[in-house]
Amino acid sequence: MDSFRPVAEAARGSRSAAVARALRLRRRRLGQVPWALALPGFAALVAFHFAAIGFGAYYAFTNWNGLAHSSWVGLRNFREIVDDASARGALWHTLELAGGFVVLTNAIGLALALGLNRAVKTRHLLRSLFFLPVALSPLAIAYIWGWIFYYQGALNRVLGSVGLSSLKRDWLGNPSTALWSILVVMVWQFSGLAMVLYLAGLQSVSEDIYEAMLVDGASPWFRFRKVVLPLLAPAMTVSATLTLIIGLRVFDQLKALTDGQPVGATETLALEVYQQTFYLLRFGYGAALALILTALITVFALTQLALLRRNEQRL
Amino acid sequence: MGLARYSRATFLRELALILVAAVFCLPLYLLVAIALDTTAQSFKTPLSFPWPPHFGNFAQAWHAGGLGNLGHALESSLIITVSSVACLLVLGSLCAYAVARRQGRLSNVLYVLFVLGIILPFQLAIIPLYVAMRHLGLVGNYAGMILLNVGLLMPLTVFLYTGFIRALPRDYEEAARVDGAGLLRTYARVVFPLLWPITATAAVLVGIIVWNEFFVALIFLAGTRYQTLPVALYNFAGEYVARWNLVFAGVLIAIAPVLAFYLFAQRQLIRGFSGGVKG
Amino acid sequence: MTAGITLTGVGKVYPGGTQAISNLDLAIEPGELMVLVGPSGCGKTTTLRMTAGLEEITEGEIRIGDRVVNSLDPRERDVAMVFQNYALYPHMTVYDNLAFPLRAHGLARAEVRKRVERAAELLGLDGLLGRKPRALSGGQRQRVAMGRAIVREPQVFLMDEPLSNLDAKLRTEMRAEIADLQRELGVTTMYVTHDQVEAMTLGRRIAVLSGGVLQQQGPPQQLYDEPANVFVATFIGSPAMNLLAGRIERDGDALVCALGDRRVPVHPANRAAAALAGYTGAEVVVGARPEHLTDSAGSPPDRPRLKGRVRFVELLGAEQLVQLELDAIPVVAEAGTNGLPGRGGSRAFALARFASETRVSPGDLVEVRVATGRLRFFDPKTGRAIR
Repeated sequence: MDSFRPVAEAARGSRSAAVARALRLRRRRLGQVPWALALPGFAALVAFHFAAIGFGAYYAFTNWNGLAHSSWVGLRNFREIVDDASARGALWHTLELAGGFVVLTNAIGLALALGLNRAVKTRHLLRSLFFLPVALSPLAIAYIWGWIFYYQGALNRVLGSVGLSSLKRDWLGNPSTALWSILVVMVWQFSGLAMVLYLAGLQSVSEDIYEAMLVDGASPWFRFRKVVLPLLAPAMTVSATLTLIIGLRVFDQLKALTDGQPVGATETLALEVYQQTFYLLRFGYGAALALILTALITVFALTQLALLRRNEQRL
Repeated sequence: MGLARYSRATFLRELALILVAAVFCLPLYLLVAIALDTTAQSFKTPLSFPWPPHFGNFAQAWHAGGLGNLGHALESSLIITVSSVACLLVLGSLCAYAVARRQGRLSNVLYVLFVLGIILPFQLAIIPLYVAMRHLGLVGNYAGMILLNVGLLMPLTVFLYTGFIRALPRDYEEAARVDGAGLLRTYARVVFPLLWPITATAAVLVGIIVWNEFFVALIFLAGTRYQTLPVALYNFAGEYVARWNLVFAGVLIAIAPVLAFYLFAQRQLIRGFSGGVKG
Repeated sequence: MTAGITLTGVGKVYPGGTQAISNLDLAIEPGELMVLVGPSGCGKTTTLRMTAGLEEITEGEIRIGDRVVNSLDPRERDVAMVFQNYALYPHMTVYDNLAFPLRAHGLARAEVRKRVERAAELLGLDGLLGRKPRALSGGQRQRVAMGRAIVREPQVFLMDEPLSNLDAKLRTEMRAEIADLQRELGVTTMYVTHDQVEAMTLGRRIAVLSGGVLQQQGPPQQLYDEPANVFVATFIGSPAMNLLAGRIERDGDALVCALGDRRVPVHPANRAAAALAGYTGAEVVVGARPEHLTDSAGSPPDRPRLKGRVRFVELLGAEQLVQLELDAIPVVAEAGTNGLPGRGGSRAFALARFASETRVSPGDLVEVRVATGRLRFFDPKTGRAIR
């Protein structure tokens, strides 16, 4: 038998090239999908995302104002950002807002998902209700809350009527409360999204496993800690990453309600980009801000993804 | 189904959740209540419903002229959304078809690039895009906005379709091939119809995103007669500042289409967000 | 300390109105393994889940030992369950899966370790403690599921078709292992399966259910030899008992049964002999197991014979199963009913066991010897055995 093997291998070697060629021809004849179909899509991807970002990154190092020609200024824009207190403030606010948003939205979303997961009779209706704001325009929602936070608006009136008049204030006009008021608006709108993602994740805790836990005698807290939470890890990855991206780029609500006021207390990177680029026509500076925002989002999102994915694997 | 046991604990939980939902919906209730109010400065108790309801605000909001006109904006939003979604579905699905059906490293690389395209934020990209499109005369008109939407949302669309197509068995395409159908006929008559579930999801998801888009629309369409609903609402609210009843009437008009759509498509929308974003 | 399980008058009605279980009385002795068997939908799994506390009991009472457990949570019943699909926690190792119920009850780490290791040894899982379920074979997963049940040292084991997801060979092996394990641990076990062979081999006693109603319970051999009704007669035993339409007539002092155009005497030693007298002139359903329809080789020559034409022969090596067209009209028993017979439209195909040496081919006309003493008779209206 051994004598046959080398011969077979040699034949295989010289045949392989011919076979590969025949396979390629065969594939084409069998109607392998041509890459041409992907061209428009790919072109869009390159043009509108990679190329545009590339050019945008280039602008960040120029002093362009959108009209006359620009010249390379190296890191001057970035140095200005670092020096300018309001730019630093914008960066800080962006992070604060995003951080609070991720934590609150996910906590509330998870709580809602756990509550709605089984046996509650109205759960489909409730799920639709909590998710409704996600589909609405953030701008529209911002205006609704604008009235709630208005000095003569709902929140203060309710506080007054329950005897807490001392807590009344101009929520959006007061630098110490403005940002957090915006946070409330954002959390209200997107908790439903986190809830829906966690509900989908809870499906992976099959009925069987749930019953096994019941028979095994685990208390609700034990069940949650040891089985439900670990199995929710993938959903947590998606939800945390998504909410982080949303939180870092928030724009509509800020533009509608405060536009960075009072005294820059609600200024964020996204707002600044708009302001500097399209209002003050400082394309170069605006691009630099946008570049920082982009870097921030990308780094945070990818890091979070990697960390959470690793957590998933460990489980 | 054993765990459908409706114990007392479950009842209490349901009650608590209904209460939470009620409080949660207060802003929406307020929206309707104020929109039907004659003056928003009324000193009634905070949560009362105005009686009799005053529908005049809607008429006033609808007929607001100039940049705050919601009627034109509605038309504009409709045209832009429908066109953008249609283009995205066609081009995106074709692209995904190629990426999903071809094996090998190239298709994997492309897939990763598209996913990256979803994560990368567009704030930076908008600046050079604005410049380029201004050059090409595509700022402030439908064509430009549609093109922009298609470009920006292509990665998401391709991502959604690719996952789905990869899971589709090739049997149908092979049968069509044997029957003598060419590539495009196979795609149009056999493959695309099979993609119906993900098409519905993608259409709803992308449609909502385009409809509600503000930042980009503000930059490209503000001040023109083609501005979309969010931009018009922004102007409207700016014009009628502090006249909350009118502003809310405007807001209601603006979100009415989505509300109506939500009644029909909520399940699709929920599934789109939870399924399409997973993995 | 193990305890017996007693079901008294247990019934279950689903909210839609379907009656899943009716008036079930069952008593499993402490330390006994009783098998609940029946076709799908017969209510055996529902009974098990009611005992576990995963389903509400609509009427009746379930006791574990002396305690009435109707309103107790699963946690408080001190039962352990092995699920059909194992329900292993996918993100935990085998060790953690086994330890889970113990940790849930707050046992000390040392005790947990001791019990887990003992269970692992008992089930041959020693080398696998660090693996996750997805890295295990079907048989290994099944053993982990069993391990999770035995670490708790509960009063009662509940097993829901634990072997049905394994291939045939593995199933036979595991059957023996489960029987040994149960005997060694001595824990009362309620075991559910749809496979009657499994039921016959495992149970000290078996309970046959159909349509939510208990058909018969008792030792396997008893159900085989003396089925209480047509359903049990055809459900237990493979291949199934032949059912033929017959009529009881008098021939002088003796009773005979007319099968087609032959008359077969009712053997005086047949348990039904006395009761059959009351059926003279009436129709009955006659049950004959394949091994009681034999060829001439090895049968006493004075056995009554029936004529039949061979349709098909299954060679089993040690013997042959011969499909015959007898003169007698066949009776079709509908599964799920209480054994009430219907009428078959086509000719009867009876199954007879012939010795392997006898040469038969399709188309042959043969004579079949009937072991009349072992014939079973059933009332055609109620399906119940005539005794």
